[in-house]
Formats: sequence, structure tokens, C-alpha cells
Amino acid sequence: MIDYRARFRINLAIALCGLAVFAIVPFVANSGLVFLAGLVAINIVFGLCWNFLFSGAGLLSFGHAMFFAAGAYGMAVVSLRMPELPFFLGLAFGSACGALIAMIFGYIALRRASGVYFAVLTLAFSELIHIYITKTTFLGRNDGLVGIPRPTIDLGPWVLDLTSATSYYYFIIVAMTIAAFALWCFQNSPAGRLIQAIRQDPLRTAFLGAGIRGWQLTAFVVSGTIAAFCGAVMVPFTQIASPEIAVWTVSTQPILFTLLGGAGHFWGPAVGAILFGAIAYGTRAMQGLSDITVSVLLLTVVLLIPGGLLGLWQRRRRKAGGRQPGQAGDDARPGTAAGKVEARQ
Amino acid sequence: MTQIMQARAMCKSYGPVRVLENVDFELDEGEAHVVIGPNGAGKTTLFRCLSGETRIDSGTITLSGSDVTALEGWQRVKSGIGRSFQVARIFGGMSAFENLIIAIETRERNKNGLRFSLRHLAPRKAVLEEAERLIGELGLEHTSDDAAENLSHGDKKRLELAMSLALKPKLLMLDEPTAGMSPSDRAEAVRLISQVRDTYGLTLLLTEHDMEVVFGLATRLTVLHQGVIIASGQPEEVRADSRVREVYLGQH
Ligand SMILES: Nc1ncnc2c1ncn2[C@@H]1O[C@H](COP(=O)(O)OP(=O)(O)OP(=O)(O)O)[C@@H](O)[C@H]1O
Ligand SMILES: [Mg+2]
Repeated sequence: MIDYRARFRINLAIALCGLAVFAIVPFVANSGLVFLAGLVAINIVFGLCWNFLFSGAGLLSFGHAMFFAAGAYGMAVVSLRMPELPFFLGLAFGSACGALIAMIFGYIALRRASGVYFAVLTLAFSELIHIYITKTTFLGRNDGLVGIPRPTIDLGPWVLDLTSATSYYYFIIVAMTIAAFALWCFQNSPAGRLIQAIRQDPLRTAFLGAGIRGWQLTAFVVSGTIAAFCGAVMVPFTQIASPEIAVWTVSTQPILFTLLGGAGHFWGPAVGAILFGAIAYGTRAMQGLSDITVSVLLLTVVLLIPGGLLGLWQRRRRKAGGRQPGQAGDDARPGTAAGKVEARQ
Repeated sequence: MTQIMQARAMCKSYGPVRVLENVDFELDEGEAHVVIGPNGAGKTTLFRCLSGETRIDSGTITLSGSDVTALEGWQRVKSGIGRSFQVARIFGGMSAFENLIIAIETRERNKNGLRFSLRHLAPRKAVLEEAERLIGELGLEHTSDDAAENLSHGDKKRLELAMSLALKPKLLMLDEPTAGMSPSDRAEAVRLISQVRDTYGLTLLLTEHDMEVVFGLATRLTVLHQGVIIASGQPEEVRADSRVREVYLGQH
């Protein structure tokens, strides 16, 4: 039998360890590295929510940049045009923009398409959002929206001053830890279990009495909302919302993180995002080297260790411990889930 | 006797292939109705139409008096249908236990509304206990934590039966429940099916090829041949019917 409590505790511990590691960074690294770490923290959740959709719900999205950009621009518009509104309302508005886009687009696309066709539609729609941004004066056209301030949050007796990059960094890592763990909780709730069942066999799930399309749409909206939240949190950090974050290459990022880290494990994209950040940092001096390194690494991982780095680690551990699949205390079995995921590529 | 399901003038074709032609079909409450017919007669298609997996081209289907022709499968499940598939469909990546939890939770969600999905993360105690009970009842204890895709053929069929039972249906539809089983497994499956029929007070609709299974379970027998019902009634009457003998030349 599965020990659900142990699972919960282990994954909460993983999230908190991640938070602790990121919290140390400002003490041991320069401001450039802290900035990078902040972006990595955001990328982690961006990757997690993409993989929730992919491995959790079985929906392949090539257009997650649209949600990220929706959140970023939503936040930017609120803080520049309506500065009197509180910071959290900006975050909520940004996330709601992502949710709305996901709802409208998902409603249309899930009716008409599945599989690769669905993925291509997400790509097309995402490009549409990109073009809309570059053509809209209100959103700053090609220049984007610049000079987004970092907030000071009034909490009654305390005032939280997040105007410095370092203090905002701490806000980011706390917000991302909460978002990541909330996503874990959703994926492991009754609704999340059902969504995973739909991925494995939609027809069977329908004949248990569950409306497939409604649940797929739910998964899509959850993923889009969290991606938008990531974008909204990022904008005061970089202080700019530029159309570049709506370009299709941004949509490929969570896919890369997932492939590197392992799609079959909930935390796979987190490992991928950290590795990706490390490569970007290690090769920052040489133009183009980062792309080459990432490509080579990606090829190596996809060809030699399907299931990603966490998949490899889990197989190792299982061999060493001789443990049965399903007793590993993790939320996925790489042998099955990841294997299938790879086969679908 | 009250009718639980009634179909009138059903037609169904796949492209140019006409599979069901003007089929009238009814199902009385409490009966064990077996549909037989040669390969390709349209039994599975009849199942798919009645359960809502596919739309019929014309005709009407009513379930406990209300018209469900336009409803999709999952909506018909809500009014008390459970079904299995000719090739067992289960969630291969999960253990038998998790498969059952999904089924039970889906039933509870349909009964109690969406809030059921929101308040708890792990399955509730009552859900876990019910899953345990079903595992025991259908003799799946030995499968423990194996991924369901690695189960034996018979265990998969039994797991699928358990999942259907978990929905607490009024009507259970089983498409060839003993296909591909050894004779001893078959006898065991017949015993199990009549046992759950008694304990749950189910109405059964089955298709089957094996005549021992057919006559072991049926309280009513319908013969489908090339998409047309050629006989329907008491098993013994149908067995004696001359047209049926023609179709099943030499077989019983
Ligand atoms: N999806 C489909 N597309 C086209 N033709 C189909 C499809 N499914 C079934 N058929 C055809 O419809 C006819 C009836 O098939 P069906 O599966 O209902 O028969 P059956 O009585 O269940 O047979 P069996 O005893 O082999 O299970 C067959 O001729 C089959 O080739
Ligand atoms: Mg059939």
C-alpha cells in the first residue's frame, strides 16, 4: 500500500530544502549570480507547470510563452499604469490574464484537436499573442514596458521593503516554493489523480463517469495560471516586460528543462532548470557556447538516458537498494511514465 | 417487470459499413441478458452504442425512462451504467489499488459534487477501505504494488470488473468477460460474475462466445447476426430456434 503521508512529507522536505539552498545564495555569491538564481527559481516553476500539463495531463504545449508573457504584461500594466493598486493585486491580475487566455484557448483547442495538432495550435496561438504585444502601443510595442518598480508591501504593523534586488530575490524564492508545492499538492489530490488517469486512458476514465474535456481544460488552466504567475513575479525583478518573453523560444525552455531533468518525476524540470542555469553561467563569457553546450547535453540525455537525470538517478538507487517499483516513495515511476513520455516524443 | 434500458430502431454504420440495422433492444431490471453472435456480428458495436462510446446514426435509447440518445458515455455512467471492454482497459501505470481509488473517487465526486476534490489530498479513509474490500472481494490481493500493466490477463479483467463495481452501477455491461481465459479461469469467472450479480443486485448485459458461460449465466439470450437480431428470449427457446441453429451450424 502507498504511504500517502510519507509522500507528502518527503516532497514538502524537497521543496523546503530547495528553498534553503536558494536562500544561501546571496551570502556566498555576487549580485550577478543572485540575479541568475532568481531567474532559475522562476524557471523551475515554469518548467514544473509545463511538465504537469505534459506528464500529468498528457497535453503537449508548444506555447507556454503566451502565459508567461500574459502574466508579465499583466503585472507590468498594473504597476505602471495603476501604481496605487497593491502589489498583490498586480500578481493576481497577471495570473488571471494567463488563466483567461488558457480558458479561452483551451476551450477552443481541446474541442477540435489532440496530440500534435493541439501542440501546433498552442504554438500558433502563442505567436498570435506575441504579434499582438508588438503591435499594441498600450503594451509598448517592440520596446516593451520598462521601469517597473519593485514594491514596498504594507502589512499593517510591518512594512516589507522589496525595493532592493536581494530582498525581492527572497520574495521570489518564497513565492516559487509555495507555487511549486501547491502544484505538487494539486497533482496529488483526487483531481490530480483523475487527470493522470485521463492521460493513461481517456476512454476508461470517461466510463468511470468523468467528463474528459472539462478536466483537461482544468489542467490547462491550472498550468497556464501558474506560468502566468511566474511571469508576473519576474517582471519587478528584471524591471522590464519585453516582447522577447512572448517569443516561441521561451516556450521551448520548459521543454528543455523537462527533457534534461526527467519528465517522469515531478521535480525533474527543477533539476533541468538548475542545470540549464549553471550552463548559462559557466559559459557566459563566450557567445554561443551556451547554446552549443545545451544542445550537446540535450542530445546526450535524450539519446543515452531517456527519462532524464532524475530517471537515471532513480534507476541507480533502485538497483542499489533492490526496491520494488511503487515503493520508492516518489510520485512517479520513471520506468513507466517516463518511458512512455519518451516514446511519445 | 420494469425496463432499465430500451433502444428503438438503432442504426449504426462505420462509413459505408452498415453494422447495426434497425435494432430494437430492451433490458429488464434484474435480468442477465447475454448477446451472442458470430465474429463481426456487431456485438461490440451494440455495446458501444448503448453505453454511449459512440453516437448512433438514428434511433433512440432510453435509460430508466429518460432519453439518453444525445448524452455522452460519461453522462450515461452517472445514471447508473458500468461497463468493461473486450480488451480490458485499466490504468497500466498504476497499481490495482490506485486504479480502484480513482474509480471510487470519481463516483464520490459525481455524487457529492466538486468540493469532494478539493478538501483532501490523500484518498479518504472510507475510500481506502472500500478499495481494500474490493481487492479482497475480487481476489486481487496478490497484485500488491505491481503496475497494473504487468498483471496477468485474468487479473486485468477482474480489476476492470472491480472498477466497474466500484461505481455501484444498476446495470453492468461486460463485453466478453471471459475472452482469452483458460477453461478453469472461465468457470471461476462465471462464479464470480453470478456472485457479484447476487450481492449487488445488478442487471447484467454480456456478450460472450463460450456457450458454457452463456448458458451458465443467461436468463435471457439474444442472437445478433450481421447487425440484425434474429432471436431473443429464454435461453432454451433460443437454443431450439431453427434460424439460430442455421447461423451456429454445428455449434450446439
Ligand atoms: N471502428 C470501426 N471502423 C470500421 N469498421 C468497424 C469498426 N469497428 C467495427 N467495425 C466493423 O463492424 C463489424 C462489427 O464489429 P463488432 O466489433 O461490433 O463485432 P463483434 O460482434 O463484437 O465481433 P467479435 O465477436 O469478434 O468481438 C465488423 O465487420 C467490423 O469489421
Ligand atoms: Mg466484440
